[in-house]
This record gives sequence, C-alpha cells and structure tokens, in this order.
Amino acid sequence: MTFRKFAFNNVIRNIRLYAAYLLSSMFMVMVFFTFSIFSFHPSLAGDGMSTSAYIGMQVSSIIIFVFSFFFILYSISSFLQSRKKEFGLLMMQGMSMKQIRSMVFLENMVIGLFATISGILLGLVFAKAILLLGENMLIIEGKLNFYFPLQAILLTFVAFIALFFFISLFVSYILRSHKLITLIKGNRMSKGEPKANIFLTLLAAILLIGGYATAILAESDMVINVMIPVILVVSIGTYLFFTQLSVFIISRLKTKKKFFWKNTNMILFSDLSFRMKDNARTFFMVAMVSTVAFCAIGTLYGFQSAFIKEASNTNPFTFSYESYGENEENDVQLINQTLQKEKVTADSEHMMWTSHEMATGWTLITKESDYNRFAKLIGEDQIAVKNGELIIVEYPGSSLNNTKELQKQRVELKSGDSLQLEEVVVSKALPNQYSYYVVSDEDYKNLPKPIDEMSFYAWQVTDGQEKVFDVSAELYPQLNDYQFKPTAYSVYVKEKQYASVMFVGLFIGIVFFVSAGSFLYFRLYMDLEEDKHKFKSIAKMGLTEKELEKILTRQTMILFFAPITVAIVHGAVALTALSHLSEYNLLKESVTVLSVFFIIQVLYFFIVRHLYTKQVKTEVL
Amino acid sequence: MLSVKQVSKIYEGKVAHRALTDINLTIEAGEFVGIMGPSGSGKTTLLNMIATIDDPTTGEILINGENPHSLKKDRLAEFRRRELGFVFQDFNLLHTLTVEENIVLPLTLDGKAVSEMKTKVKEIAETLGITAILNKRTYEISGGQAQRASVARAIIHSPMLLLADEPTGNLDSKSSKDVMQMLQEINLEKQTTMMLVTHDPQAASYCNRVVFIRDGKFYSEIHRGDNRQAFFQKILDTLSLLGGDGHDLSQIRI
Repeated sequence: MTFRKFAFNNVIRNIRLYAAYLLSSMFMVMVFFTFSIFSFHPSLAGDGMSTSAYIGMQVSSIIIFVFSFFFILYSISSFLQSRKKEFGLLMMQGMSMKQIRSMVFLENMVIGLFATISGILLGLVFAKAILLLGENMLIIEGKLNFYFPLQAILLTFVAFIALFFFISLFVSYILRSHKLITLIKGNRMSKGEPKANIFLTLLAAILLIGGYATAILAESDMVINVMIPVILVVSIGTYLFFTQLSVFIISRLKTKKKFFWKNTNMILFSDLSFRMKDNARTFFMVAMVSTVAFCAIGTLYGFQSAFIKEASNTNPFTFSYESYGENEENDVQLINQTLQKEKVTADSEHMMWTSHEMATGWTLITKESDYNRFAKLIGEDQIAVKNGELIIVEYPGSSLNNTKELQKQRVELKSGDSLQLEEVVVSKALPNQYSYYVVSDEDYKNLPKPIDEMSFYAWQVTDGQEKVFDVSAELYPQLNDYQFKPTAYSVYVKEKQYASVMFVGLFIGIVFFVSAGSFLYFRLYMDLEEDKHKFKSIAKMGLTEKELEKILTRQTMILFFAPITVAIVHGAVALTALSHLSEYNLLKESVTVLSVFFIIQVLYFFIVRHLYTKQVKTEVL
Repeated sequence: MLSVKQVSKIYEGKVAHRALTDINLTIEAGEFVGIMGPSGSGKTTLLNMIATIDDPTTGEILINGENPHSLKKDRLAEFRRRELGFVFQDFNLLHTLTVEENIVLPLTLDGKAVSEMKTKVKEIAETLGITAILNKRTYEISGGQAQRASVARAIIHSPMLLLADEPTGNLDSKSSKDVMQMLQEINLEKQTTMMLVTHDPQAASYCNRVVFIRDGKFYSEIHRGDNRQAFFQKILDTLSLLGGDGHDLSQIRI
C-alpha cells in the first residue's frame, strides 16, 4: 500500500463520510455549469437579449464562482473539523504534518475531480430541464435549443479544477495550528463560544436600525446615493446580529436557570451555544444570499408587472391612433381596411384634443359631447356639464395625475368669464395619463385659440375578438408605435422584451435560494453523527419519542427560520426603498415574492425535519 | 426487587448467536450484586436487558413485580428516567454541558423545579467530593472525576436500581478504588439496589454477592463475608476455575 493508494482508499472506502462534502461540491459545480450554459447559449447571447442583460449574466457567473469558493471552503473546513480525531490517530501512528497535508490534498483532488465531472453531467440534465421550463413558461423568441455546450464544459472544468487546487492548498493552512492533543480530543472541544460584547451587541442593533431607517426614509434619487453605504452597514449589522446579539441572548437565557433547566431546554440551548460559532457564520451567509435572491426576483418581477400593468392600463380601447396631421388619412384607412379584411367589426370614434397654455403649463381641454361619445364606446358613465361650469377628469391609477394643479388654476373664456369647477371624475373614457378639463360644447367654442391640436381615433371591437391579435400583429410593423396602440399586443410585446431578462433573473434567484437551503442542510448534517451519539446516551437515561422530536424540531426550526426571517426583513426594506426610487408601488409584488419564498422554506423545513428526525430515531429508539 | 426468570437472548443474523441461555437471577432490595464472566459470556447483554435497552428473546424480567418490557415506548422512557440510574464505562457525559448540568439532566427531563435540583446537586456534589468541578466542562476533568460526575447523575433522582457497566474499565486503580468505595457507601447509606457488570476482581470485591456466567449460562455464585480481602481471593479463584482471563476486555459493549 503506497501512500497515494492509502489516500485514495481512504476516500473510496469511506464514501459515506465524504458524501455530504462531495454532494455540496457537486451541487456548486452543477449550478455554475448550468449558468454558463445559459451565458454561452446562442439564442440568449445573441440579439435575443439586451447587452445589459448579457453583462448581468457575466457578473452573476462571477458572483456564483466567488460564492462557490466560499461555499466549498466552508464545507471542507467543517468536514475536516469532523475528522480531527482521525488525523490525531494518524499522527500518533507517526504520520507527519506534511504527510497529513499531502493526504488531505490528494483526497481533495480526488473528490474535486469526482465532483466536477459528476456536476457537469448532472448539469447537462438539469439544464435541459430548465430550458424546457423556460420555453414553456416564458415567451422567448426562437426556441431555447439544447446544444452541446463545449465552451461551458471547458470553462467549468478548468475553473473548478483550479478552485479545488487552491482550496486544497489553502486547507493546509486550516490544519496548521492544531496540536496533537486538540486533534485527539476532536470535536469534544468546543470550537469556542463567541463572547458577546455589550458594545458590539449595541452596535449591531444601531447599525441595523440606522440602515433600515435610511433605506426606508430616503426619497427617490437619494436611494441611489445611500444604497452602497446602507448595504455595507446592514451587512455588518447582520454579521454582528448573528455573532453578537444571538450569543448575547442565548447566554442570557442560559443564566436563567428557571428557563434553562426546564425540560429539554438545556439540551437544545447548550447545543446552540456550543455550535454558535459555526451557526453564526452559516446564518450570516444564508441570510445575505437569500436577501440577494429576494431582491433580484422581487425587483425583476416588480418592474415587469409594473410596466405591463401600465401598458394594459393606459388604454381601454382595442386600438387607438393619434396623429398631429402627418399620414393621418392613410394610416386610418389602413387600419379600417385591415379590420375589414379580417372580418372584424369595430365601433370607432374620432375627436380632436386641444391643448391650451395656462398657469401650470399645457393643459388639455375637451368638450362634453366628445367625452360622452368615447365614454359610450367602452360603456363608461356619461357626464353633463352646464354652461359656465367645468369638470376635471383623471385617469384611474395614473402615475402622471395632476388633478391638484388643475383644481388651483382658473379657466377663462375669450370673454374673460371664468368657469366654475363642478366636480372631479375618475374615468377611463379618454386615455390620457394627465388629468384634463371637460367643458360644455357651448363654452368650448368660446375658449381662446388652442396652441396645439391632436387627432385621436379609437376602435372598440364588437365582433371577431379572437382575430384582434392577428390584426395587431399585421398592423404593428406598418405603423409608428407611438401613434398606433393595440393594447393587448403591446402587453405581449412588453412581456416578450422582459421574458429573457425575467428568465435569467428567476434562475439566479432560484439558484441562490436553493444554495441557501443546501447550506442549511449541510450544516445540519455536519452534526448528525454527533447528534446521534448524544441522543443515544440521553435516551438510555430516558427520553421519550415526543421529547426527542421536540428538540429536533426546534433545532431545525431555528436553523431554517432565523436566517430566512432576517432575509425577509432585509428584502422587504430593500424593495420598499426600491419602490421609492422608481415611484412604482411594488408592494403587491414584494409580498408575493417574499411569501412564495417563505412557503417554499416552510416546505423545505418540513422535509428536512422529517428526514433528520428519521435518521436520528433509527439510531436512538 | 429484581427478578430475572428463564431469560434467553438469541441474536438473529446469518448465523444466529445464542448470547444467554435460561438465566435466573433475583436481587433483593438494597443488595449490591456483581456480574462477572469472561469476554463474550453475555454479561453486558444481561445488563442491557435489565436496563430495558434490549429485549429478551424468551423469559421475563420483573422490576418490583412489574415487567418494564411490556410498557409503551414513552412510558418506558419515563420508567428509565425515574427508576433506573446508569453508570457507563465511557461515562457518557454530554460535552456540550457543564458537569453540573450533566448531573441535573435526568431531573430537568422530568420537569423538576430548579430549587429542588439545586439542593440535590449541592448535596450530592458534597457527598461525592466534586463541588469544585461543578462548573467545568467535561473535557477539562479527569477520568475519575468524570466517573464520579456520572455516578452523581445516576443517583440524583434516587433510582430504585443503579446499573453500572464496567464503571472502572477506563480508570486507574486509585480512581477505581475511590469510585467503588463511593458506590458501596451509597449502597449502604441510601439502600440503593445496585447491579454491576465488571471483569475487574478488585471492583467486584466491593459487592455483597458476585454471580458468574460463562458462555451465556449461569456458572456459580459467591457471597461476601466480613472480609473483603478474602472475598477478593475467592473471586480470583473462581475466575481461574472459570478459565477466562480476568483481565480480558469484554467484546460486547452497549
């Protein structure tokens, strides 16, 4: 048995022990690989995606790579932690530190190679599934074909072999400072409970509250200025929150004997504080990673639905057309002819919008009869305006609503008489995002000369609704898109524009979220053997099944919900700040995204709890 | 107090292995009984069955007239928690807890009041001379101290029956002697019934009675007179007749 053979056998014959580490590495390789398949995908990298989205993908793959580095480094150090005793034993047999290092190095390279190759293979399958999903769920122009991603394979292989190489070297550093005695005592020794420092605990609270307050209170453009400092402050705050505040709370609880010595609390909390150092780091990483996922998905989904809502909200008619004179007759004829050709019947109306120079700038005024004709077209309430009076109409949910300013200014006729404001009406009758005045037909004639006029046509289809889409598709390329507005088709076009960006965003979000979950899963499994051993000895003294379940449930619950709760609060604050910046109300979208994630996390929790409890139980009871 | 009636244990497997055959054993309240035998003789199997950790294949075990093996799992856990105390060869102290917390563990699981736990810990720690190490962690104390702590844990809830599996197996002779003397004192003062499995004749000589088993069958039984030294000698004689090496390490562990 040569030394190399020994190191190799050590892995192969002990594969169960290495499984968690191997799986986590494999998982990271798979994620990175699937991602690079996308970034090299011909139909995504080409015209199908805007440059900014392409750059976004490149940046994301770098983030994923950096993240994998820390993830693997973390897995390996906890893995080595659990093997301290074995190293101690080997050292007692006369193995030198140098030999141990080279053994660990060889082992890592063997695992790294396995992980990279199997990760790529799994990634191929996974990518195919994701591509299918992408094709079906999102409207992406051209199909996302499955291709043989030679470039991606090469990149992943080289990147990860290099990564494992450096990590294996780095591990020597981790092992360096251990004395034989600490190795032999292995995991019996506490990794050290982090000491809670009153000053740092307070600092954690101050940083978090300060960061949140700044983010929420910042108005529009200020958000950009405060973004970087707030992210920094909150990240540090989160780290301190988990390393200081949590330790502080637990150690306070431990001194309360009434609480700590009650039933199973002692077992639960002593474990928590014993593992606090490991947990705090995991919690921090998971919280940050989940926050990134929430923000990415929340932002994309929020903006997408805001834009689409706007597109579908701005126009109540099937088609509308507006013109300042050029090509007007030809275009209207073309629209009518196409409708006829496709046998679609539609009611249509025409009017002239007039703009007047007033105190607050250009203001739109229309007359009662025009308004009522259009209102009738879509079945809105008609209005009656008496001579000498006027009504302000605002469009529901418009972001450019200026009713307040209109209420303040005087509208005068040529004669100098001013009109009396009667009421404010909310109606979709005329699709104008700015509010406008409606006056009686009589008064309309006596208004001063308008400074601008615009011709406005609207069609409302009464029969042949199913062909509207075809008609739109036919007309859309022939007409100017700021003049001709086919409502349903515009929404479709917008959706298509956002589809690939959404897809990438969703993918990134899911990847980050799933990684966070696996992080927790591996954290839990790192302690499985120890837990089994511990519960076995407690069970001999008498521990009912219910009590065992209770302890395990709580343990898993803290692991799964402490970081996610923090992440949800972070995400909520970030999305609030974002909606201030964009002045879109993202509340509904944020709540949807965050609750979907929360529900997934709850499911994840139940599955993992079930598996973990079963594992421990088979051993103990 | 304890009666073991016609108990046999067969381990199923590719080759079924008969670990115990028709064992009968009765222990009176307040008695201190040692079980001895060569490795693989079935000592630990017997102890595990009395401890309700393992089930007998045939026969029955009665503790105070009731058969704990017929209890439901949860009731059984409560039974162990309240009526039995365990001392293990490898101490089985939880390293995440301090010595004091380890000692009160059976009481906390049973939901006792903190004040009650405190008085009991204090009292026991004084008797066993471990007051100074109460706030230490398990990796900071010596083997002898750890075994005392585990004895303290085993008796803090005043169990009916204290079961000890090779309690001196991991200790040096001085510590062994201390721990055995301590057990003997507890037995005399608190009238706790004790059963001890050991291969150490020195440790066994502190018992009132030693039962020998060999190849899973009852072999013989000797009683202690007034003189511990003479008893020790008798144990050695029986062991040499038994044929096993007194210092054999047992092969079956919990």
